Amino acid sequence: MLFSRVFQGHYLLIILLCCLSSLTLASEVKQVQIVLQDNHYTLSTEIDYQLTEKAKEALENGVTLFWTLKVQVAEQRDFLWDKTVVETAINYRLQYHALLNMYRVVIVQPERMKGDIYNFSTLTAALDLMATLRNLPLIDDDKLSADKNYLVKIKLDFERDALPLPLRPIAYTNPQWYLSSDWTVWSLKK
Amino acid sequence: MVFKKIKLPVSLSIAILFGLILLSLQLMSSATQESSQLSAMYSWLLLANGLGSVVLLGLVGANIFALTKQLKKREAGSMLTTRMVSLFVLLALAPAAIVFYFSMQFLHQGIDSWFNVEIDRAMEDALELSQASLDQRMRWHTKQTQQLVEKLESSSENLATLELENLRQQSEAAEMTVFSYQGRIIASSSVNPSDILPNLPDENIWLRLRQNTQYVALAPVHDDVLMIRVIVKLKSQEQEPQYLQALYPVPIRIADLADSVEFAFLRYQEMNYLRNSLRWSFSLALSLVLLMSLLAAIWVAFINIRNIISPVKELVKGTRAVALGHYDQLVPVMAQDDLGFLVESFNEMTKRIAKARDETRLAGFEVENQRAYLETILANLTAGVISFDADYKIRTVNQAAYRIFRIQVQHFVGQTLLELALNYSELAEPLKSIQRLLEQSDDIWQQRLAFLGANGRQELLCRGTPLFSQEGQRVGAVVVFDDVTDLIQAQKNAAWGEVARRLAHEIKNPLTPIQLSAERLQHKLADKLETADADMLERSTRTIVQQVVAMKAMVDDFSEYAKPSKKQTIIIDLPVLVQEVMALYVLKSGIKFKTNYEAASLLIMGDPVSIRQVLHNLIKNALEAIETQGLIEINLHRVQKNDSDFIEIALYDDGPGIKDEQIETIFEPYVTTKAKGTGLGLAIVKKIIEEHGGAIWVDTSRKVGAGFIIQLPAYTAQHND
Repeated sequence: MLFSRVFQGHYLLIILLCCLSSLTLASEVKQVQIVLQDNHYTLSTEIDYQLTEKAKEALENGVTLFWTLKVQVAEQRDFLWDKTVVETAINYRLQYHALLNMYRVVIVQPERMKGDIYNFSTLTAALDLMATLRNLPLIDDDKLSADKNYLVKIKLDFERDALPLPLRPIAYTNPQWYLSSDWTVWSLKK
Repeated sequence: MVFKKIKLPVSLSIAILFGLILLSLQLMSSATQESSQLSAMYSWLLLANGLGSVVLLGLVGANIFALTKQLKKREAGSMLTTRMVSLFVLLALAPAAIVFYFSMQFLHQGIDSWFNVEIDRAMEDALELSQASLDQRMRWHTKQTQQLVEKLESSSENLATLELENLRQQSEAAEMTVFSYQGRIIASSSVNPSDILPNLPDENIWLRLRQNTQYVALAPVHDDVLMIRVIVKLKSQEQEPQYLQALYPVPIRIADLADSVEFAFLRYQEMNYLRNSLRWSFSLALSLVLLMSLLAAIWVAFINIRNIISPVKELVKGTRAVALGHYDQLVPVMAQDDLGFLVESFNEMTKRIAKARDETRLAGFEVENQRAYLETILANLTAGVISFDADYKIRTVNQAAYRIFRIQVQHFVGQTLLELALNYSELAEPLKSIQRLLEQSDDIWQQRLAFLGANGRQELLCRGTPLFSQEGQRVGAVVVFDDVTDLIQAQKNAAWGEVARRLAHEIKNPLTPIQLSAERLQHKLADKLETADADMLERSTRTIVQQVVAMKAMVDDFSEYAKPSKKQTIIIDLPVLVQEVMALYVLKSGIKFKTNYEAASLLIMGDPVSIRQVLHNLIKNALEAIETQGLIEINLHRVQKNDSDFIEIALYDDGPGIKDEQIETIFEPYVTTKAKGTGLGLAIVKKIIEEHGGAIWVDTSRKVGAGFIIQLPAYTAQHND
């Protein structure tokens, strides 16, 4: 009796963990390509946006979703935490147009006030655009010293604070609203 | 002290706390307005308020826990605190709960009332209307473009650019472009001459174009300006297919209206979608407000009640201390209010009680000292003192009573003398007499009592005084008794000694001249008188001489009696002495002697001459009583009486015995049953025995002949060491 209960408990825990991992890691940085071209490092990546049912429902009901793609170049140190050398962020905005029945993506590149607007008739197409990042300038090679190791860290952050006010407490507590990715770390090889 | 000075007053801290709570709640409330600057901080404010609630909950919980602990320990004031806190919480909770309930009701109904089916449909219809209007425009522009295509097909490629300009102006299009299947621009015309590059279709449109011959869509082009894009395939002679793209602007008014409708529709849809979240969110905020204010109120209530209760608590502590007899504890006066007054009065009362107690204690000490002093005096009195209660039960006994009675009378406190008499039969007679006197006399009485104590026959002079209360009720009695044995003995001795001395002096001295004179008369006149006279003279003279001799003997006896018998004391082995004395009488015919000795040592301490005389006197008495034939029996044994050892000498004869009326006075001088003798024999015996600390009495239990019992203190080695 006791054994079976413990056993059941374990099962429950395992199932719960699986659910959590599948739910919490909604988005993922899939492919990363760092290229040194003309003394310049550029980054290309593929990001897998996994919109949950809740997020899709909200989007179709006129809620705008915001993401920020954070890219950092950090110097790896032995006994201290990594030192961030360069940090860039790209803002993504996804919204639905009821009149035109279209999905609109606005991408604000770093150090630019106004974003590029793209319209799509399907959500998949809109997400495809957002998923692909091509040739993001990272850093000049001169700024890196030869005897140190550098890392590129990438994270996709879903901006829960940009959601409408009533959704925020729910977004912070419901795992359906965890649309961010974890930090992924890549070494910057010369 | 320094710390106390900088410590904020409780009321101020409470005011600050409430201010903070209100500010936080106000901020949260403002943040719920979408347009507010604080909107971005909403989550943080919610978290802060939540944390504040948790902290307050912790504080209240800690207070409740502390209170429960106090209740369990039954600490002073805990019950009152519990009652007050419960009352306060009830008073605070009831209206708050009612307000909360109705607020929730209103909130939910209010939010629901924003949305209804009519508005829903109206919004959707408005959107559809906009879409229909735009569709109509799109269809119209499609037809227009198709007509333009027909015109354009007829013109050559070289003229196309010019023709396109004309057609564009006719059709009021913003831009017109002819491009090949490969995407090569053949001709282009734009309302804005600065646009060198025409807006070409993107991949999606190309995909559609390859499937159909034409494409119509409404889409934002160039900085989000809404335009109708129409692409129609040209029926040209060329190998490569060609397309005409026309971009028609939507009139600004229509675009604005459509925008507005779309915005409103989306907003409404969003609100509708967020309805539950909104309700939840508002409920959360409201609950948080209620919870925080309630918790804060309860916490403040705890603090305030603690402040109110603390003097009561101190008072309870003080009262407990007073109940336990600690009067020194003063309760601190915390405030100059009613409770402060109460505390002051309590302190005053305690002080007075303490003072009264001290005085009482002092008086008690004095009384105790007096009592101890009196007791010391009583204990050291030679007279025995026994006090009795109203039921004649012994209340107090002094030390002298033990010395006199040789009984631990104090062990019989609470019992009557009769109960004491049951345990000590030898004292039964005097104790019963005292009891009788106690019960009978209503005034001071005095009585002389005798008993055979440890020291032999003892004479007591008892004086009793009944005690009366102020109301005249009998509450007990006091008996004082003195051992007057020695005194009486001394008086008797002195009296008899005086008599003896007088006799010796006054009588014995003239006796010799009387005798000599009589003999001389006889000697001188015998020859001169006639025979008859001479005979009478001779008879008279003889009588005188005989009487004088008798008188001399009597005087000698008296002087013998007056002499102290205990001249020198040695250890006497009684059986030996008795044997010696008896040896003198054994030869007398007709008398048999019988002796019984115990094997134990029968030693006494005394003057052997006197003791010998005692035996002589008694045996002589017996012989005289027996006259011719009889038996004299002497028994010697050891007896124990009142914790002391005595040697008892019992002497019996089988003569006529002693008459009852004589028994009382037989030991007095001049009491005799015999025709001759001075009557001093037994008196001397008694005197000697008493001088040796012993006693002699007539054994009345014996029916045949006379019996005397002598008890003399036994000699014990350690006694005389």
